[in-house]
Amino acid sequence: MKTIPPPCPEPETGRKYWRSLDHLQDKPEVREWIEREFPDGASLAPDGESRRDWMKIMSASFLLAGMGGLATGCRRPEEELLPFGKQPEGYLHGGYKFFATAVPNRDAATAVLAKWQDGRPIKLEANPLAPGSHGTCACVQAAILDLYDPDRATRHTHKGTDVSAAKVVDALSALSKQFASNSGKGLYILAERSSSPSRNRLQKALKDKLGESVWAEYEPVDLSAGRAATAIAYGPGVRAVVKVGNAKRILSLDADLFGTEQGAAGAMAGYAKHRKPGDEMNRLYVVESLLSITGGQADHRLRVKPSEVLAVAAQVAAAVLKGGPVADKLRGLAASSPASTKWAEECAKDLVAHAGAAVVVAGHRQPLSVHLIAAALNEALEAPGKTLDLVSVPSGGDAVSIPEVVSALNAGSVDTLVILGGNPAYNAPADLKFAEATKKAKNVVRLGYYEDETAAISNWHIAASHFLESWGDARSLNGTVLPVQPLLQPLFGGLTDLEVLARLAGLEQTSPYELTRQTLKDLGADGEEGWKKFLHDGFLANSAYETASVSFKPGAVAAAISGPTSKAEGFEVVLHRDSKVDDGRGLNNGWLQEMPDPITKVTWENVVTVSPKTARDLGLPLEKGTQIPQDQKAHDGQYRQITLRVTVNGVSVEGPVWVQPGLADGVVGLALGYGRTAVGRVGKGSGFNAYPLLTSTGPLVSGAKVEMVTKRALVAVTQEHGLMEGRPVVREANLDEYKKKPDFAKNMDLDGHLSYVPRNPDGSIKNIYQSPYKANPWTKSDINQWAMVVDLGTCTGCSACVVACQAENNIPIVGKGQVSRGREMHWMRIDRYYSYDPNIPASSEVAADDPQMVVQPMLCQHCENAPCESVCPVNATVHDNEGLNVMAYNRCIGTRYCSNNCPYKVRRFNFFDYNKRDNSFADADDHHFMDLTGPLYHGPLGKNRYAEKEWEIVKLVKNPDVSVRMRGVMEKCTFCVQRIEQAKIAVKVQARDSGNVRVPGNMVKTACQEACPAGAISFGNVLDPEASVNALQNDPRNYTVLGFLDNKPRVTYLARIRNPNPAMPDYYASPRSLQDYERIRGENPFEEHGHGGAHGHGDDHGKAGGSGHAAMTGGKGGQI
Amino acid sequence: MANAAAMSAGAAPSSKKGGAHSHPAPPKIVAAAPPRELERYPLVLNNRPLNWITERIAGVCEKPMPIWWWPAFIVSFGGMMLMAGLVTYLIATGVGVWGLNQPAAWAWDITNFVFWIGIGHAGTLISAVLCLLRQKWRTAINRAAEAMTLFAVACAGIFPVVHTGRVWMALWWLPPIPNNMAIWPQFRSPLLWDVFAVSTYGTVSLLFWYTGLVPDLATLRDRATCKIKRLLYGFFSLGWTGSNRNWSNYEKAYLILAGLSTPLVLSVHSIVSFDFAVSQVPGWHTTIFPPYFVAGAIFSGFGMVLTLMLPMRALFHLEDIITVKHVELMCKVILATGSMVGYAYGMEFFIAWYGGSPYELYAFKNRAFGPYWWAYWSMITCNVISPHLFWSKKIRTNMVLVWIIAGFVNVGMWFERFVIIVTSIHRDYLPSSWGYFTPTWVDVFTFVGSFGLFMTLFLLFIRYLPAIAISEVKAVTPQADPHHPLGGAKEHHH
Repeated sequence: MKTIPPPCPEPETGRKYWRSLDHLQDKPEVREWIEREFPDGASLAPDGESRRDWMKIMSASFLLAGMGGLATGCRRPEEELLPFGKQPEGYLHGGYKFFATAVPNRDAATAVLAKWQDGRPIKLEANPLAPGSHGTCACVQAAILDLYDPDRATRHTHKGTDVSAAKVVDALSALSKQFASNSGKGLYILAERSSSPSRNRLQKALKDKLGESVWAEYEPVDLSAGRAATAIAYGPGVRAVVKVGNAKRILSLDADLFGTEQGAAGAMAGYAKHRKPGDEMNRLYVVESLLSITGGQADHRLRVKPSEVLAVAAQVAAAVLKGGPVADKLRGLAASSPASTKWAEECAKDLVAHAGAAVVVAGHRQPLSVHLIAAALNEALEAPGKTLDLVSVPSGGDAVSIPEVVSALNAGSVDTLVILGGNPAYNAPADLKFAEATKKAKNVVRLGYYEDETAAISNWHIAASHFLESWGDARSLNGTVLPVQPLLQPLFGGLTDLEVLARLAGLEQTSPYELTRQTLKDLGADGEEGWKKFLHDGFLANSAYETASVSFKPGAVAAAISGPTSKAEGFEVVLHRDSKVDDGRGLNNGWLQEMPDPITKVTWENVVTVSPKTARDLGLPLEKGTQIPQDQKAHDGQYRQITLRVTVNGVSVEGPVWVQPGLADGVVGLALGYGRTAVGRVGKGSGFNAYPLLTSTGPLVSGAKVEMVTKRALVAVTQEHGLMEGRPVVREANLDEYKKKPDFAKNMDLDGHLSYVPRNPDGSIKNIYQSPYKANPWTKSDINQWAMVVDLGTCTGCSACVVACQAENNIPIVGKGQVSRGREMHWMRIDRYYSYDPNIPASSEVAADDPQMVVQPMLCQHCENAPCESVCPVNATVHDNEGLNVMAYNRCIGTRYCSNNCPYKVRRFNFFDYNKRDNSFADADDHHFMDLTGPLYHGPLGKNRYAEKEWEIVKLVKNPDVSVRMRGVMEKCTFCVQRIEQAKIAVKVQARDSGNVRVPGNMVKTACQEACPAGAISFGNVLDPEASVNALQNDPRNYTVLGFLDNKPRVTYLARIRNPNPAMPDYYASPRSLQDYERIRGENPFEEHGHGGAHGHGDDHGKAGGSGHAAMTGGKGGQI
Repeated sequence: MANAAAMSAGAAPSSKKGGAHSHPAPPKIVAAAPPRELERYPLVLNNRPLNWITERIAGVCEKPMPIWWWPAFIVSFGGMMLMAGLVTYLIATGVGVWGLNQPAAWAWDITNFVFWIGIGHAGTLISAVLCLLRQKWRTAINRAAEAMTLFAVACAGIFPVVHTGRVWMALWWLPPIPNNMAIWPQFRSPLLWDVFAVSTYGTVSLLFWYTGLVPDLATLRDRATCKIKRLLYGFFSLGWTGSNRNWSNYEKAYLILAGLSTPLVLSVHSIVSFDFAVSQVPGWHTTIFPPYFVAGAIFSGFGMVLTLMLPMRALFHLEDIITVKHVELMCKVILATGSMVGYAYGMEFFIAWYGGSPYELYAFKNRAFGPYWWAYWSMITCNVISPHLFWSKKIRTNMVLVWIIAGFVNVGMWFERFVIIVTSIHRDYLPSSWGYFTPTWVDVFTFVGSFGLFMTLFLLFIRYLPAIAISEVKAVTPQADPHHPLGGAKEHHH
């Protein structure tokens, strides 16, 4: 029933308002009009017929709607909305927060900020507040994926059966009581290295309680090998912390400073500091046997066998040291390898000339003598206090090493072996036969993150919690104490090593939180405020290791130096830390597995690397027309590599060969960490196990026999071609050349030959389709314009950015089979090019022996004249008003034309529903002719291979601010548009009425930029004069890759400058890639060569464009 | 006689002229016979009467099919079903079941598309361009060639649709449907031009083919022996009576459609070539592409016409209608267009050098000497060398050799598209992203299956429709020419 509203009474007093003149006159029709709520006719009830029609139409509509519903099954998904009973403080749904924590790794942790959103961490970034913060390495970026790994240990077991956490705690208490009676006799603890002060404290507490217990530590890849040398040179407890940032001359003795050594990120940051061209530019000498990214950066690189590094070190020392016991001792050693004498002498001269700003670093694989020589050199070069700090490190007590544990096991004196982390059953030195020895222990208790090889030999397996689920502490490389702060409850109720130790020691307080707090109280983070500040800042101020006041003991050093051990005939094997999976701990991490190796670009496995000469000697078939062995046997487009068998003392391992230019001859490189038998679904079947060759004598093995096996194995690589073919994609010059013409890079490629191209009156190149900003200037924002500059001078190719991008942008992994088909999804890739000596013909034997290496991060260049945009038939890739080339995933139909037309080939296509598949495909033979999808995705009717519960865990790592792309959609770098938008919102919120909504120039950091330790990537708003990209774009080194295409990319590069020493025997007047360019193109970028120059192509251009030139360009010279 | 002409409604237009006149007396003065060397080669041999032509052509689809037709049909149909299954697999699982990758994001899919659309060119060229140029020899082959065009376009249309990552979206976003988001397709993209070009071409070709069929359908209707046939042929012959008005309208419509189709012959393949020419890829970015693609399309189309027509001619004993002269003329077209294609190959290389872009030059060097050298030299052998055998009359008149060489042309033209597409994109600007494409079994069998679709349609066509234009062939016989001694409507000749 319609209720007629009561008429509004006219106010009796006050002003009278009227709506019209008629109203003023109070005409009756006006009164009626006012009383009516609806206009004439509106309130008329429909007569009988029309009401029936209405009913008919409506019922038909409902019926059809219902049928539609039946036919399509379209229904909103049911969602349960469970509001918080009590709103957590500071929680904002959809917003994110950062918490300071640390990523522990051996005895140096990285201070990070964990991005936390909706109750879970999703990304790790370097903590900018922490002292010496400088990006992160790839493994830190990937660490978060381990947290959500469905294959991690999700249960506690006793003899294979699940037990509750309470039972585990009871068992630990029982152990504690058992050993309390005999003061720990028979209790052995084998732990991973850790920097945690709390663990040190608990180690001490345990020793106090159970005095007879034995504490052992083991790391298969011992990054702190140099510590023993420092102890000899300066006394026990002293550690040397290298400060690359203070050094102008760096000599690396087989040390992969930027890759596999401890503190690589810091080294890269320090190195980058003085890598700008100028008088202060640093110089890097590298002596190495494998090719590392450090070797790729070297100004001078000496390729020697690992056993010869000692001789080179001795030669350098002979030239640096002016007498003294060490010099005397070395005299004999230096003579053993005369080939490099000149190299070493000149290098030494350069180091001496920069005494106080020079540093010598020995690699962790090298024997003690090399470390001792390095220590002596550093002392002579006045390094301590300047380019390296000598610090005293507190320790938790003595630790024995693993052979002693094994001999105790074999002697039957071990009652209970507690293994804290690590995976010794897999990676203990093979000669110890660790797994067998453990059978002699009554009880093996193991705390582990995976149910791996070691879990198989343990009675008790305790699931460890991830560092993002646990309380703890750690120290950075220089000793600053960092908090390990949980960001969520343990997903599977795991325990930490602190808790296990506390229970073993029978302490009352076993909560890791309380334990950590107690430690921090002792360290000085007192009270509630101190603790809060510690957690907030993510580090404890002034907690770095104290500088040790010690003096060098030349006598002890000289005494400890020994000559090379007698060398067995045959190949030398280097068992090295893998640049991705480390010692095997990252094997089940899909991001690390799919990250291409920075040098070989191999994914998903390890390979047997040999030099071209070695490969020739082994009889590998040669590439046509060259003497370079054909390792890259592209059979049906995939690499099916010949398998090599490496045998040492009757133990052999087999793996696919990889001919690696730049390796020392007669050396075989084997990465550790692969070929595990008890591993999750990602790591299963990945690579071969090289640990059988690792014995207690160390990672350098001689006397190996290498033979070809007729088997071939598929290897998945992301880059097939390693030469630039004279194309100046990466532009580089020597420092002297740079000084002659700083903007030489702009004068390369066809960029200098565009004078004949038709031009607009304003001098810009005439295009079929004008730049959108030119055609429609109103589409260009005058508030924000984004651009990026990548400094090729400091980029080492470490690939941290690749994984950071993957983590930030929900980029799926695709698996080995798909990578081998060329379908990896990385939005950012690191192109690695070799340049051979152009004076040596390719047919020569030595052509590829000693290459120079350059790297180039390649990502969407965000062209203003984007070639991808004009060819998309559905407008799925378009330009936004701030200079971004954006993808509308919903609009994309997947014609892939954009990818074809992209000259940089940075677009990535979802050939399958990569996000819907589980990761368990590394073991699959999904490169087989018939099996195209592998056990991956079985069409819409197939089942997801993850159990529903696992799927819920896997999904948690996704960044909710970024779409998860489905199959059939093209994707590519977005310049982290989600970060840009967040910044814009933040600025808008702040601006309020001021209207100043310009995002400050350096406010937005892309994921790759944030991760880059070298700071090689700059991004920002060019409309803000403060933006660092502005200065870099005006840097004379700035150039555009393929600039002549006039795509106007927003990503530009700074040319790399090398700083070779003219006195060196391997001095080169130009980088080899530049020599190659000059030879192939017949051009010299240091000379002007505008239109019609005297070089090879000038005449052609004159003919081709002569008439157009005269009319259109008005004589504008050879530059764009 | 007039009645007979009216009853046999499909008879040539000139034959009914006789009905309007009384029998003219034989001309008194007969022009001197032209010298032997100028004498026109008869288009229908053995002075076949008009009735024989009707009987022979209509007979093909009226008599039971010969035994060979059944196995041929079953194999073709199996191929078609194979393609249907593989396309379902493709759409259900993802484009990754093909061997595509980065950088070769297109390979067999677009190769097959261009290959089939090229084959579709001969039909329209024969029917439209030769019609306008009054090339009377076209009448023997135009019907089958046009049918072939339609079937080739059908095969061609499938590939670009299913090669998209999300077909269900492609069918929704590609047509310019007004929508409330005001988002239109991107009119600068050659792929969208393709959509319009191919659909226009398909539509006009269908209309043209169907218009030409109407008089013949009426003939079949009139000769039909069963009710269903009479009904169906009757429905599709649109009430054709063969009246003067019918013929007059028909001729006008046919001429208009010929006029409309002619530019399409040039436009479709020009636009298909823009898929490549408009891009930046070295090896694709070439202004020679439009004419070169059109020549190549005609080349491949005639190759396919010969491949199909020669067996048909032999199996249905149509040698008097599709004469050796016809085959020779087609060989000459192949020779001409093949030479153009060969010229284009050479010119591409010249421009790549002359243009001074090292990237462009590399793309062409890589074609000939890179990893896909075998594809390039297969193409050169088939497309450049083999057509030049047609300079020899002996080869032109040897049906077996012609058929084999036509087969080479087909193979060569497939390789040409493969070479253009794959060898250009597998190594473009940055050496870091160079790669290699290898087909998977799905690639291979989808392509094989498309032949199944093509052949199924073609076999059904010869089964149910006159494969040669009866009325048009009659029109080019001497009998249809009132001025010819045998011409006009005379006793005992119909």
